[in-house]
Amino acid sequence: MVKAMKNKGSSVNCLLERKGKRLLPYLLMSPTLIFVVFFLIVPLGFAFYCSLYRADYMQFSKFLGLGNYIDVLADTEILKSIGRTFYVSGISLVVSLIAGVALALCINALSKKLAYVVQIIVLIPWVTSMIVAAMLWKWIFQDETGLLNYAISKIGLSKIGFLTDKDIAIYTLIFVLTWRVIGYVMVQVLAGLKSIPQEYEEASKIDGANKWKTFWFVRFPLLKTPITISAIIVGLSNINNLNVPLTLLAGGPGTSTMMVAIDIYRMSFTSYHFGESSALSIVLCLINFLLAVIYIKAVKYEI
Amino acid sequence: MKSKIISRYALIFLGVLILIIVLLVNLVPFFWGAVTSLKTARELMIFPPKFIGFTASIEHYITVLNGSFSVAAFNSIIYSLIAVVAGVISAMLSGYALTRFRFKAKKLLFYIIICGIPLSMGSAAMVVPNYMLFSFLGMNNNFLTLPLIYIAYNIPMAVWIMVGGMQGVPYEIEEAAQIDGASKWYIIFSLVPSICKPTLACAALMIFIGAWNEYTVSSVLVNSQELYPIQVSIYNYIGYFGREWGPLTAAATLAVIPVLIVFSFLGKMLISGLTAGAVKG
Repeated sequence: MVKAMKNKGSSVNCLLERKGKRLLPYLLMSPTLIFVVFFLIVPLGFAFYCSLYRADYMQFSKFLGLGNYIDVLADTEILKSIGRTFYVSGISLVVSLIAGVALALCINALSKKLAYVVQIIVLIPWVTSMIVAAMLWKWIFQDETGLLNYAISKIGLSKIGFLTDKDIAIYTLIFVLTWRVIGYVMVQVLAGLKSIPQEYEEASKIDGANKWKTFWFVRFPLLKTPITISAIIVGLSNINNLNVPLTLLAGGPGTSTMMVAIDIYRMSFTSYHFGESSALSIVLCLINFLLAVIYIKAVKYEI
Repeated sequence: MKSKIISRYALIFLGVLILIIVLLVNLVPFFWGAVTSLKTARELMIFPPKFIGFTASIEHYITVLNGSFSVAAFNSIIYSLIAVVAGVISAMLSGYALTRFRFKAKKLLFYIIICGIPLSMGSAAMVVPNYMLFSFLGMNNNFLTLPLIYIAYNIPMAVWIMVGGMQGVPYEIEEAAQIDGASKWYIIFSLVPSICKPTLACAALMIFIGAWNEYTVSSVLVNSQELYPIQVSIYNYIGYFGREWGPLTAAATLAVIPVLIVFSFLGKMLISGLTAGAVKG
């Protein structure tokens, strides 16, 4: 009898244990999931809800359906800044990819210690705060007191309005954005280069391939993943960059460097049109989401 | 043959030239900022600007440190610490669950988290959603809001780093501990962390950098002086000091120093954190 009771007890225990084991992974996952759901997914849902209303000063006054989206996407100024954002991010992306790959190839030829030091220095812009970096560049690019204009006048050329000339300011912005991301591309590509087995290159050498051919047919295909990943991260980071444009030029002179991010920011926190700004945020998020899907496909995450 | 040698030297020369230019462009802004911050107000007006040979003074640092900057720096340290500790613990638990268990929603949950990696980079898209929800819930101007948001922005990457790191740790060690009678909780909270210390440190570093440098959301979610993090305080200085580049560059230099110190010691870790996932496949 006692034995039977004991048996029963242990089987109940066992059942509980099994159930606990089944629930344990979910329990372990829960802190992370709470953060991701509550701080990333729920806000997006709420923003979508807000984007359907007139929500000036956060007062939901009138249901508009997709009215806010139509308003936002029919505004020529906003369309212009969307176009400008893609233009700036596109140029920055192409330049940083080419420069990053070139630099990685340069560094790959260096000795190990030297390569490490160079890598660290090139990565500094990526890890320092964008506010600080943009501010320091702003100081260098000043018209009258800037270091760069001083150097230019020393050579005997006339000063350039890096921050005040309508046609030049946008390239100043592109320069700082690109400066920031080159290190990231380089580190990714370099990691890719290091993971290529040496035998591949030796084999191609024996087969009589020259340096250029080795790069193009052996290395480049194997670098596709790191290049894709850095392209997406760099693109995302530039499209969504508020800090650098805001600190460096704040959209000026005029609206010549206005970006979508600044539009969203001003729409919400200067003029308090939250309905429209959430609509624009959702549009931007859709773009981000599209890039995120490509990212996940490229990375081939496995668990 | 001769032309080949010449072209080879030319290539090396070109490579060295590129490297020197890149290093210069990367370091000059920080160097020039540090130099500027050490000049006196009068010396700043002198043109042509001097690189060396001026009388160094720390007056701007005193101005900055006596202002709201020190409060903001202190806040940022606390925020980052909270974010790092809580973020690393929850990322570790998720990493453990994702690498050691088989469960139904595993793939789905994993993809939800991984989707957050690119999503959290796009803080311009998230700033309005986050602001609206948290002010709707009355959570703005709360001491804990910012660290919680920093965790949320950086945890997807941290989880991915943990998964990568834990996949490399053999399961046999845990099995042996289990046979020796170690409890589940001992294994999760003591054994596993001690085995994958480098991975934990790497995740911690990524969270710290993300938290320390965040500006966009921080700038709208708190609006009292006592709660500002360091980046917001620096940005406000631009409006406050205007064209006084002395205090501005002093604040910038102070804000960069912690990251540079961390970075110069843990550079290898940072590189492995940045390239986590990219090298596979």
